[in-house]
Amino acid sequence: MKTFRTLALATAVSLVGVGAMAEGIFAPNLTYRTGPFAATGIPLMDGQKDYMTMLNERDGGIGGVPIMFEECETGYSTEKGVECYERTKANAVVTQPWSTGITLQVLPKTNTDMIPILAPGYGFSPMANGKVFQWAFNPPASYWDAASMIVQDIAAGDLGSLNGKKIALLHLDHPFGKEPIPVLEAMAAEYGFELVLIPVGLKEMQNQSAQWLQIRKERPDNVVMWGWGAMNAGAITEAVKTKYPMDQFIGVWWSGHDADLKQVGEAGKGYKSISWSMPQPDAPLLADLKTHVYDKGMSEAEDTNAVFYQRGLVISMILAEAIAKAQEIHGTGEINAAQLRDGLENLDISEARLEELGMSGMVPPFSTSCDNHTGHSGAWMLEWDGEKFVQASDLLMADAAFIAPLEAEKSAEYAEANAPWPVNESCN
Amino acid sequence: MLYRTAGQFKTSYRADQALFPIRQDAFLLGLILVCAWVVFPLTASEFTFQTILTPILIYSLAALGLNILTGFAGQLSLGTGAFMGVGAYACYKMITLMPWMNPIIAILLSGVFSAGVGVLFGIPSLRIKGFYLAIATLAAQFFLVWLFEKWAWLYNYNASGAIQVPNLDMFGFYVSGPQASSMTQYYVVLTIVSLLTYLAINLTRGNLGRTWKATRDMDIAAELIGINLMKSKLTAFAVSSYIVGVAGALFVFMWRGAAEPNLFDIPLSFRVLFIAIIGGLGSIMGNYLGAILIVGLPVVLNTVPGWLGIHVESALLEHLNIMIVGSLIIFFLIIEPHGLNQLWRLIREKLIIWPFPH
Repeated sequence: MKTFRTLALATAVSLVGVGAMAEGIFAPNLTYRTGPFAATGIPLMDGQKDYMTMLNERDGGIGGVPIMFEECETGYSTEKGVECYERTKANAVVTQPWSTGITLQVLPKTNTDMIPILAPGYGFSPMANGKVFQWAFNPPASYWDAASMIVQDIAAGDLGSLNGKKIALLHLDHPFGKEPIPVLEAMAAEYGFELVLIPVGLKEMQNQSAQWLQIRKERPDNVVMWGWGAMNAGAITEAVKTKYPMDQFIGVWWSGHDADLKQVGEAGKGYKSISWSMPQPDAPLLADLKTHVYDKGMSEAEDTNAVFYQRGLVISMILAEAIAKAQEIHGTGEINAAQLRDGLENLDISEARLEELGMSGMVPPFSTSCDNHTGHSGAWMLEWDGEKFVQASDLLMADAAFIAPLEAEKSAEYAEANAPWPVNESCN
Repeated sequence: MLYRTAGQFKTSYRADQALFPIRQDAFLLGLILVCAWVVFPLTASEFTFQTILTPILIYSLAALGLNILTGFAGQLSLGTGAFMGVGAYACYKMITLMPWMNPIIAILLSGVFSAGVGVLFGIPSLRIKGFYLAIATLAAQFFLVWLFEKWAWLYNYNASGAIQVPNLDMFGFYVSGPQASSMTQYYVVLTIVSLLTYLAINLTRGNLGRTWKATRDMDIAAELIGINLMKSKLTAFAVSSYIVGVAGALFVFMWRGAAEPNLFDIPLSFRVLFIAIIGGLGSIMGNYLGAILIVGLPVVLNTVPGWLGIHVESALLEHLNIMIVGSLIIFFLIIEPHGLNQLWRLIREKLIIWPFPH
């Protein structure tokens, strides 16, 4: 058996450096189509994949260079995520870690490996500070933006009215769920509302009776949810069971999954979820997808009008636009990771550009710059009408003046804790 | 033929009790050590370091720690993951409170904390046995992970509740954090693992090891022949938790770079327990074999289709992987219920008497 060990390791060693070598831009995606979060992962991954397939089929890629959009399965496990990152990083122009845990893990590595990390709408909110986090991008909006917008929606435009109110944050007890806490705490101090933290452990996701008992006891004016995977369905069914008024229950964008609400149907009416993407069944893009992808049988998507599927389309659009931008800046088709970074830093997704892409209304317009890696696009409030999510507000914008100092403070802390941490000196 | 023992005479008891009574064993071990110290580092890529070499070593060490407790002293424990966590958090706190501290010293010291916690949770073992003890260690598992989540001081009040490994240097080389090279980290891990394995081999062969084995085989008989059960069980808990704690510190500082509390939850305990069981309870080498099977094989299997030029969907590959590794575990346990170590011992025995079986 000792020889077996030697053999196994020797084989492994000889396998090294295996990766995609064909012509094209290698853009891997660290997916989770397996494991406890698969239900929410699959529509997102399908959307991302289908958009890239369409570009390859319709336009022959981006700028004439095909995109090799490959998936590496993590099952949402951090360990597998790091394995996938190591496996793909040699040729990849980008890494899409797809979990706050994996993001935290690879964030320091990308800074030395010089690979841009694209975490649309998730990850570490201070990544917005592009001067410190040169290689990390979380457009179009961060979790702190979400917290700020949700609080504004609760206040209905009058932040003074929050005084004396009680808001409960029902969150996954995990880096992802803890993300909004600093900004909500700061807002509670500023506007005089009381913040009640109600953590849901990973093991309690499906049985939240203790948490909802606490909610009944505390009687908060609003419940804000930072949930993912099985936790959303658990919370929504529990809210229905305990007859919590649904119109006072608001989720982050990952808590607005159609399937979770379909379980309760009519009873979930009034539940809201902030979202920087909105399904547009009539968008011209969908027609193109139908001709070039669905009709050719190249898609596995089940519901192409679902919020999460269409969000996946938007995410790939952001990456594709960044690739196109990088090609434009550097005048070359086959860009590398460092060049893509410039593309991601100079994104300009305007109304007009969305119109051209056939994606009007699917995402609010936004742009990034060297010191703003998020874009702070703002978001809409979506409301469950018993059958589907419908738009329930105009575009809300995060309170940048409130969030920016926090971002600066936390990113400086991060850089200090990880010293020596190279920052982008050329960026002011 | 390869394992012929003819001509290897033992002329003293000392020679008979040597670590390698057969010369070929020593030769084989030498070969493996040369591979581990020279050949692999020279040939391995970043990917191999990060996903195969370093994790196998760290998991082996954790399984070795558990094996001392469960395999040698017979005390079933389901709290390995949490004890690894104690080591990791202790190391993190020491490094952040005393940044001047040498990282290797900090890693070795962090085991002391987990040993302390291990002894504390080992006290019930004086009264309860077997499955009942497993429940007591399970309580340790739940309690400690809960503590890692709730005690914000442990993670320096970080907003996301995770610990991030800082860049630490030693003699001008970064040994941990994002700036450290994988090869440096591998050598640090290899040094510590080699050292602790050497200690563990000699501990289990010595007086203490015999006391543990006696306790495992029949504790009443052991007590009757004058073995102090309290001392025997608690030293097993202490030594085991020490090694597990060091493995936990290495796990976070030399490999993962960041950790959140639920990393140390029960799946990690089970993983280490499976490595120990499949490798062989009551063996040292088995831990390495088990770790290769459980940690290394899935990674290698994932690369096979790409290597052969076949395109397989990543999610499908993951499912196939789980099925293959699962059936291999069952296969190995059916052909040899005592684990891979026993399988190797049988092969070795056959080789020694080959080509003239009895």
